[in-house]
Amino acid sequence: MLDENAFATQDAFATLAVAATDPVGYAQSWKARTGRLVIGSFPMNFPSELTHATGALPVIIQESRTTITEGRSLLPEFYCSYTRSLADQAAVGELDVFDAFVLADHCVQLLGAVDVIRWAKPQIPTHFAQFISSMDDPWSQGQVIDKIASLRVEVEEIVGTTITPEALAHSIRLYNENRRLLREFYDLRKAGRVRITASQMQTLVKSSMVMDIEEHTALLRDILADLESRAGEPGQDATGSLVRIHLSGHFCAPPRPELLDVIEECGALVINDDLYHGFRYISTDVPEDVDPFDALALWYLDRNISAPCGTRVQRNVDWDSYLIGSLDESGADGVITLMAKFCEPLMLYYPELKKALDGHDIPVLLIETEHEGVAVESVRTRVETFVERIRRNKTAVPAVASGPILATN
Amino acid sequence: MAESGAANWFVMGVDLGSTTAKVAIVDAAGAMVGSKIVQMGAVSREAVRVAMESALEDAGITQDDIVRTISTGYGRKLVPSDKTFTEITCHARGAAALFPGVRLVIDIGGQDSKAIAVDSDGLVDRFAMNDRCASGTGRFFDVLSRALEVPIGEVGDLAMAGSNELEVSSMCATFAETEVISLLAQGAETADIAASVHKAVAARTLGLVAQVGKASPVVMTGGVAKNRALVHFLSEALRLPIEMLDEPQIAGAYGAAIIAREEHLGNVALAAADDATATQFAAGLADAVPHCADCDGQLGLHTNHGPVPVTIATRPMVGARSGGREL
Amino acid sequence: MSLDVSSREPVELLSTRDRTLDAVDKSNRLSSTKTGGKMVAEYWENIFTAKERGKHVVWYNGTALNPIFQAAGLEWCHGEAFSARLAAMHLEGPAQAAGEEYGYIGELCSYARTHLGCAVMTQKGITEKQNGIVGMVDQEELASKLPSPDFFVNAYAGCSTGQQWDAMTYRVFGKEFPIFNVSLPMIWGNKKDAGYLRGSEWEKTPLYVEEQLKKLIEFIEYQTKRPFDWDALSENMFYIKRASELRLEAMALCAAAPTPATYWDWVASIAPINFMPANQALVDYFQGVKDEIQYRLDNTISAVQNEKYRVYFDGIMNWNKLGWLTRKFAEYDVAVVAGRYTHDSFWQEPQLIDLDRPLLGMAQHYLICPINHGLKIMEELLIKRCDEYGIDGIAFHSTRTCRAMTNPQHILARTAETERGIKSFFFEGDVADAAFYKDESLESGLVAMLESIDMQRSRALV
Repeated sequence: MLDENAFATQDAFATLAVAATDPVGYAQSWKARTGRLVIGSFPMNFPSELTHATGALPVIIQESRTTITEGRSLLPEFYCSYTRSLADQAAVGELDVFDAFVLADHCVQLLGAVDVIRWAKPQIPTHFAQFISSMDDPWSQGQVIDKIASLRVEVEEIVGTTITPEALAHSIRLYNENRRLLREFYDLRKAGRVRITASQMQTLVKSSMVMDIEEHTALLRDILADLESRAGEPGQDATGSLVRIHLSGHFCAPPRPELLDVIEECGALVINDDLYHGFRYISTDVPEDVDPFDALALWYLDRNISAPCGTRVQRNVDWDSYLIGSLDESGADGVITLMAKFCEPLMLYYPELKKALDGHDIPVLLIETEHEGVAVESVRTRVETFVERIRRNKTAVPAVASGPILATN
Repeated sequence: MAESGAANWFVMGVDLGSTTAKVAIVDAAGAMVGSKIVQMGAVSREAVRVAMESALEDAGITQDDIVRTISTGYGRKLVPSDKTFTEITCHARGAAALFPGVRLVIDIGGQDSKAIAVDSDGLVDRFAMNDRCASGTGRFFDVLSRALEVPIGEVGDLAMAGSNELEVSSMCATFAETEVISLLAQGAETADIAASVHKAVAARTLGLVAQVGKASPVVMTGGVAKNRALVHFLSEALRLPIEMLDEPQIAGAYGAAIIAREEHLGNVALAAADDATATQFAAGLADAVPHCADCDGQLGLHTNHGPVPVTIATRPMVGARSGGREL
Repeated sequence: MSLDVSSREPVELLSTRDRTLDAVDKSNRLSSTKTGGKMVAEYWENIFTAKERGKHVVWYNGTALNPIFQAAGLEWCHGEAFSARLAAMHLEGPAQAAGEEYGYIGELCSYARTHLGCAVMTQKGITEKQNGIVGMVDQEELASKLPSPDFFVNAYAGCSTGQQWDAMTYRVFGKEFPIFNVSLPMIWGNKKDAGYLRGSEWEKTPLYVEEQLKKLIEFIEYQTKRPFDWDALSENMFYIKRASELRLEAMALCAAAPTPATYWDWVASIAPINFMPANQALVDYFQGVKDEIQYRLDNTISAVQNEKYRVYFDGIMNWNKLGWLTRKFAEYDVAVVAGRYTHDSFWQEPQLIDLDRPLLGMAQHYLICPINHGLKIMEELLIKRCDEYGIDGIAFHSTRTCRAMTNPQHILARTAETERGIKSFFFEGDVADAAFYKDESLESGLVAMLESIDMQRSRALV
């Protein structure tokens, strides 16, 4: 049964959900409230702290739920859902709230999409400084520091201010705190002390990408306090039938919440992930003990060590080993890889992941996703089969959450 | 009925498509005097034969009265005709004749869709085609009809009765079929499913239109134009009214017949067969396009050309200064 | 005019045999390119035995680093070039099958997928040899013949897939062989002074890349245990510069109407300019091509029997369909005179190459790969080409698995129309996977475009 605290949690969560579902709407009302600028960045490596330090609202631009229509005149159909949605949002005016766009990545589809957005929206300044994608060369760090310096100049110019080291250090602390809080939710879920659905976890993370960070942190604290006050010890799962799943894949844009719900309706319990709208986003903090501008460069490099990404090239870390380590740690029974159709970085790396998982006898299921629609029955069939297969092979009864549920109505 | 007497003559346009054969007969004055649409198997010669005979009968004439035939559609090369033109050109001409002033023609056929931006003279400006994938084509409605067990002619009316906005993937017809079945399994109303499939086709069509640019007036050609639900959803998606034609399926054949008539009258200026026209033509072109200042487009005067104009290589232009024809 | 139905003759439809589907071949390809074909065939035959001959082999993709490799005494294997070759010879099947089996999905860049398939086959060959297994991989398959690499060099401008591809090949070989990454930044062209070969971004970026190339050379020295031969590099660039100049001069001759050579001829010359050894033979080859073109010009021999339309081909080449496309366009009296891939991609600004400081000119060339620019520069380049060659229409190859070459196409189509009134059409195809290509779609689109050009012309006369 829910107590009074839970209602506060519901309200807090509802606020996050609204922002996550309609980030443009949130940005518009924030702008109206504060009279300040909104700067949109594209995933996955632009440091929001840099924008935050200018006083503008940093928003990581999201895939829209709008069916793609006019965007078809800008990009062909064989682009990933995220980039096609970007083009469409530009074409139908959903990006007009932004005062500027910034980008630090190198994905060819994303660059192509941003280039057509720049053409379609010439009145919105679009700044690009490409972070080196080869992470472990002796010159990598120097190059990233250089690029951060260029981006600094651009955002300062857009807002009409100078970013002091103190201001940036302050922003860094705020974002680190937010990431830390989100990691606590992950720890609670992994430990089985709290039950948070995959789509709820997505709401928590996604809203942090689009909201005023201090607002977000305050709401997180409320929710977390409530949960922790009710969290129990890991209990025994009476039926032993839920299968513990790690979700992998989906760079840049989040898998649809309906898809995540369907997966969990099939007897799977998502206990961890390395999605961008998930653990990847919160895995690494910016160092607070060095020059803040250098620290942002270090964060970029560190993050690929703590959560290696298929889009970066690094010899001494492997996404596959990281994944296997993560599965060991969380006790997951299997992996569901969610691949956005036409996502090349994931298409390229997936065989290595599969090879490694097969080599360790870890079951893996691949589900391709698209912008429009979820083939519910088809997903159901595949996930149920996958879960049955795992159940047959399981011997030990896992410690699964029978603790408090994150009640969000 | 056709006029008798030597003053009148007739031309024929044949549109052999993926699901139908259509024939239009036009007289010397440009009026359509006979037509026929035959639904049979894909690209069927039998269908063409029947359609031609019926159209001739409809016009009250025989094959001997036809002075020129133009064919179009996917099967255009299987039809005995004097020349072929693409269905893009023909649908544009036909639609412009059926609705003068049209600026955007949308043709959704059984297996492909086209959006054609047409200029003030009814000629093709820009076009976009979607024939690689069945989504956004009449194939979607076949899928719907089968899955809902409703006759294909009734899916439109069913959709008009639907109110909910369920989401259906508009990327792939096969994928969509699975979704429709899953929606049925979840207990969704058939009317709502029908409505959402129609919306999906409309969305895909909007994507196609976006490639050529929205313009008005809008006319739909092809069989799917008779589906009032699709017209309704498309009109909503475009935020433009869609003008209805009495017989949208005949537009391609009619356009082909119009071209046949023009060619017979010699109005279309393509590679000329006689010197006078060729010279006049070349002279006209020399004014119309920029040219290498030194040689005025005539090769052979010097070899070090700047960019030389594009010219239709009417044979006298190439090499031989004497006016001979060979290349 | 009898209305008696029974007396009428039945309408006779032509049988498909009578309405011939084999049109007469109206294309007239250059014969000098056959020499190039032979050079390339010999090159690959030779490299297949590199390991037996005790040579160091480098695998790379994208930019033309071969003059550096050549100066270092290496043998070099350009992955994309091999994929293209397989596709052109219709032998890509086994490689793509091997790739698919390994787990590569069909929507992935088919260049990468094909080459990774070759890597899988080569790697299996190594394992078999090590384990004494015989016959698991059919050694007669061309796709399996690539010699195993000693190291990888990745230097791919503009396309992240191109960059990641080498990183994955590195992993297919179990990370056993070293990889070096040359960072090639994109020319974003945001500043007001930005343009093709000009602006402050253009001043700075090649200097960064030059430094990267120096680091690459250090890496190669370390791998080969030999000091780098800088004189050889200058000599190699001398030949490449000359070959490129001849090639460009020959291309310029095609501004004439009717054109003596087409895009398809330039496609046949890609391999030589892209990765053949820099030497006199390379220069002689392009001299031969230029001579043949000049001869044709002097004797009014055209590349297309009845040139009525001049078309520009935008997008990457459709390697599986080279022969078919050559004949198909000619059938409709279309001379495809130039294209982005042939004209804007390979050593196209030789005047930038300073033989005393070759690395800078090389760096500049790597940065002007057409997928490394933003739209503004691409529009500038397109209009320039259309003016140079008197273009009537543009064929946009909407390459299903190549996002790098397709992203600006819709904008470019609009620009060509608004700036020059040039018509265009799109057709779907692919660079190395024939499954994504449909002949009818090309034909309908092409003919529809030609029909609208005809209408445009007839109105210009009135």
